[in-house]
Formats: sequence, C-alpha cells, structure tokens
Amino acid sequence: MLHRRIQQFFLVYFLGLLSLLLVKYLLNLSDYVIPGPVEIWQTCKSVFARYVFNVLDTLWIAVVGHIISIILAFMVGILGRHNSWIGSLIKATAYSIQAYPIVAVAPIIFILLGDGLITRLLIAVMICYFPLLLSVIGILSEPVDSIEHFYVSTKRMNWRLQVRIRAYENINKLTTVIAGSATMAVVGTIIAEFIAADAGIGYSIRTALYQSDLSKILTALFLIGIGTSLYLTGLEWVGNVIQRKCQI
Amino acid sequence: MKLKKRQICWFSNIDGYLIVMQIECHDISYQYPQTDAHVFEHLSCQVTGPGFHALFGQSGLGKTTLARMIAGELTGYSGQIQSRQIAEVLYAHNMERFPGWAGIGDMMASTMQASGHDMLNELVNAFGIQPVMNARFSQLSLGQKNRANLIRYLLQKFDLLIMDESLANVDETTRGRIIITLKTLFPEKCFLYISHNMMEIAKFCNQIVVLRSPCKHPQTSMISGQNLMTENNFVMKDLEQTMLEIVHAS
Repeated sequence: MLHRRIQQFFLVYFLGLLSLLLVKYLLNLSDYVIPGPVEIWQTCKSVFARYVFNVLDTLWIAVVGHIISIILAFMVGILGRHNSWIGSLIKATAYSIQAYPIVAVAPIIFILLGDGLITRLLIAVMICYFPLLLSVIGILSEPVDSIEHFYVSTKRMNWRLQVRIRAYENINKLTTVIAGSATMAVVGTIIAEFIAADAGIGYSIRTALYQSDLSKILTALFLIGIGTSLYLTGLEWVGNVIQRKCQI
Repeated sequence: MKLKKRQICWFSNIDGYLIVMQIECHDISYQYPQTDAHVFEHLSCQVTGPGFHALFGQSGLGKTTLARMIAGELTGYSGQIQSRQIAEVLYAHNMERFPGWAGIGDMMASTMQASGHDMLNELVNAFGIQPVMNARFSQLSLGQKNRANLIRYLLQKFDLLIMDESLANVDETTRGRIIITLKTLFPEKCFLYISHNMMEIAKFCNQIVVLRSPCKHPQTSMISGQNLMTENNFVMKDLEQTMLEIVHAS
C-alpha cells in the first residue's frame, strides 16, 4: 500500500518538475524564475534536514487536529443525526459554516490568539471538521431499516445501539471519509502556517516565497507529499484492519 | 359457554362477558402517498382466537401493507383496527438482518429474557440451525437467515406475531415442522402468516384471510383451513376442497 502510494506521488511530482523544466527551457526563462536541475538538487541537499523537521512539526499538528476533528464530528454528528430541531439546527449551522471559507477567518484567529501552536491547531481543526461533520451526520442519520426494525419493534433501541448499527454498516464509508479528511487537516495546518505562523513547513514555504527561491519551495512540496503519503497510508492501514475485523 | 382448560388463557371475563383474542380491521381505506391508486377500499376482516392464521393473496394486493397497519408501523389510513386481548403485536419479515459484529447465537442471547434459554434451545433444535449458531448472519444461507430471524422474534414477549414470508427459502419439510412446532409451543399466541404457498396455508392454518383486488367487493374473503397439528395426517379431499375455496376467493 505504502509502496504504491509513494510510487504514485513520485510519478506525479517528477512529472510536474519535468513540466516546469520544460517550460523553463522552451521559454528560455532565467534561473531566477525557474532554477536549473543542479541548483534544485543543491538547495534540496542544503535544506533537506531542516525541512524534514518542519514537515514533522506540521504533520503532528495536522494529526492532532485531525483526531480532534474526528472526535468532535462524531460527538456532534451523534446529536445531529436526529430529525429533531437540534438535529436540524446542527445541520443548518454546519452547512452555513462549511460554505464560508475558513481561510478568510484565519487572520481573525491570528489576531485574537497570536501565531502560536493553538492557532495552527485551531485552523487545522476548523478546515477538516465541517466537511467531516457533514459526512458523519449523513451516515449516522441514514436508518438501516433491515437491522433496526427488530430493535425498534421490541423497544430495545437506544442511541448507542443505533449509532453502533449505522457506523458498523457504513464502516467503509466512514474510513474513506476519515482518510479523505486527513488531507484537509494537512492542508489546513499548512495554510495556517503560511498565513502567519512562525514554525512548520508552511512557514518555510512563506519564507522561500519572500526570497523567490523556487528550489526551496519544490523541496518543501516534495517533503509535504512524502509526509502526507505516509500519514494517509497509516490511516488506510488502520481502516483496513478495522474493516477486516468487522467482516470476520 | 363450555371452555377447554387451555383456552381459558386467551379468554378473559369482564363484567360477565367473555372477551376473546381478536384482531379486527373495519372499513380500512388506504392509498400510498403520491399515488392515485387505492390499495384498500373499505376493507374489513377479522381473525379470532389464538392459533395459526394466514393472510393470503396475490403479489401487490397489500398483504405487507395490511400487516404493517396491524402492527402499528403504518398510519395514514381511514377506518379502524381494533384488537382485543392482544397487547403486544410484532411484525417479522424476511428482509431483516442481524447486526454483523457477533455470531447469531450471541445476538439472540443478548435480546431475550433471562428465562428464555430453554426455549431458545428448543427452537434452535426444531428449526435446524444448531450448527450455525456461532456464525455471523452474513455467512448463513437465505433459509437459515429467515429461521434465525424468526427465532429471535419468538423469544420476545408477544400476543400476535405477524410472519411476513418468514419461512421463505426454507424447504417444505422443514417449514411444516417449524409451523407445527410453533403451534405446539405457543398454543395461546396468535400468528398471522403471510405466504404464497397455498397448500401450506390450507394445511396448517386455522382462519385464512384471502385478500382480493381493490376493485372487488368485499376486498377480503374468509376461509377455514385444515389447521393440522401433524404433517401427514390429513384427508387429501378436504385439503383440495380448502385450496379450491382459496382459489375461488382470490
């Protein structure tokens, strides 16, 4: 699984790099705009170790943010699965906030909370929480009549059993949604770092942008891709283990 | 009125009148939402007393709809459904599934009363699903699934159990054995059996409600079945007569 994902990433990344170099040589662009392969390689060697730590810094915030989002999404999703007023209110609120770009709100969060860890974490959580919440509500509010009928008829149904039945029956969807939202968490963290933080790979990209150093940006993108691939592969592995256990 | 000892449990005496277990549908009319066609128009029928009764009719005439109305799962109809001496109505159908996180034996045990273990063992043996009690529901054959589902309903508290194709995909011999087991183990309960197997219904059921097309009036017809307590002890001529009555009525 990891092997395939890394292979896919390498293919996409090097195709992109090749296209960039092709543009450079076709349009005869200077090394200042698009550096040559030797310069890219040398920059990569010089910043690699530092950028690896920056990516790890970003990744752990993304992972923690993702876990918080999952927990929050399930807690609120369990409340919002009902067709009652509270369910409708939660759904309507989630849809409204989801429609609003969190990135636009990010500067307010930076002004209020500063550019530390909490701000990066909060933005990561906000970016992946709402899409996750809507998916969880959608899955948990869909009745599984063929199983639930017996428990409803015999008055044995309670909220825990209902959630368990619906989550179990949709375990494939849930694991896919959770794995999908991991990318959002990584993107959210990088955006937060890019806007105003003082650490992480997003911050390094911003610095490289101010220096107009495309080699550093390309190195950062390479490491972000590798890091995200590793995280997604880990999540998929956990998802597969859960699915296999459920199917025994 | 002279009553047998066993019958006393399904009759009760209120102010000197004997009330018998009964379910009565009176002047029921119903059409599915957003359709023009009526499923029922002034339908009336009744089933009286405990035992094994049947609801018979061609596909699409509303057997399941009527069953769900009786079970209280479907509303929005006009008319009345009244029951006497029937407090708990359960409706089991053949599309039901068990949750998949445990074996069917564990799932049955988790939903029955503490005193139900002897009954569970008896039913499991009679229904022939002992070898698959540790298997997950998805690993069973269709017939085993239906039998397992029926068992968990039989372990619940009920006065009337509606069995909507609950023995579908089960072979004829086993079906007969199961019905006789139900009649023997639950003499004081009322069963309403929905099936397309006319011979089985004619053979084992007591009262047979034959559902007819909404354009026919009355929309139901009542036939007396052979109500056999053994599988092979029947007179072929009588059975044929009952089946003919059902065909004419439907």
